[in-house]
Amino acid sequence: MFRILLAATFLSASAIAENVPINGTVEGNCIVVPDTSGVYGNPSAGTLSTASTDGGVLPVVRYDVILADYYKAVITTPTSFSNSPSLSDTVAWTGSAGVHEVSDAGMSAYDTNKVEYNSTTEFDLTIAGSVWFEMESQAVYGGSKPFPGGNYTAIVEANCIAK
Amino acid sequence: MRNSILFLLILVSGYASAHSWTPTYPSFTTSHVEGVVKTTMTLWNKRPDVEYYAIDVTDTEGNPLTFAPFDKVYRVAYLQKETIDIFIRTQDLARVTYICSRSLFINSEQNAILSRICSKVQQ
Repeated sequence: MFRILLAATFLSASAIAENVPINGTVEGNCIVVPDTSGVYGNPSAGTLSTASTDGGVLPVVRYDVILADYYKAVITTPTSFSNSPSLSDTVAWTGSAGVHEVSDAGMSAYDTNKVEYNSTTEFDLTIAGSVWFEMESQAVYGGSKPFPGGNYTAIVEANCIAK
Repeated sequence: MRNSILFLLILVSGYASAHSWTPTYPSFTTSHVEGVVKTTMTLWNKRPDVEYYAIDVTDTEGNPLTFAPFDKVYRVAYLQKETIDIFIRTQDLARVTYICSRSLFINSEQNAILSRICSKVQQ
């Protein structure tokens, strides 16, 4: 009697069993991660540079994209100080951005395909994963004068624009 | 394989200092106010060095468009997510292209990286 009851229980349980769906959506997402704040070296009295050969530290920013070909990275190097002593002369700025490290070997092509204009560099993020960009920035004080003593701060702009 | 593992580790380990703005392709729907449409964005602040974010809405050329709320600067604490409703006039719907969030530095005295993420409006 007990066996019949047990068998009936199993049969009825299987009759009401249903598939339980698990739904998921993968959405495009760009995450901008400042990795290293740059430091200006002072190779000569009238020059500030983030190049390691000039005693500086290159700022590095990481971009994580979940899906390929959804975003482009647009990086602008400084064209002015956000904080500095009073400057009486003009400052000549140069800057560039390039690939520093990649999570996918194919991303090394980003450097080849980058578009540069003014102080801005654009990279098409065509591969999902993480890519680190480093920026070089140099400021030369006008008239070969030395920079006044004090603290100098500049800001790099790291944009991630949906395509 | 090694790169895939590296990427996964980065995703799993979390972000020491990150800024995220979603969805990538928002779309506007009708709101409770006639002549006004609405979309909802999410800002995620994992940047310990940033507490304020500015929002802007632009056309393709980057020209600003009027939107509400008029308070365009949000205080988002470290490790907090903020859901932000964006309202624009229906007449601007054909022009609106980007909705962006940008980190703000108040009295920054060290070299910094400003992060700005722009979502593209689905027409």
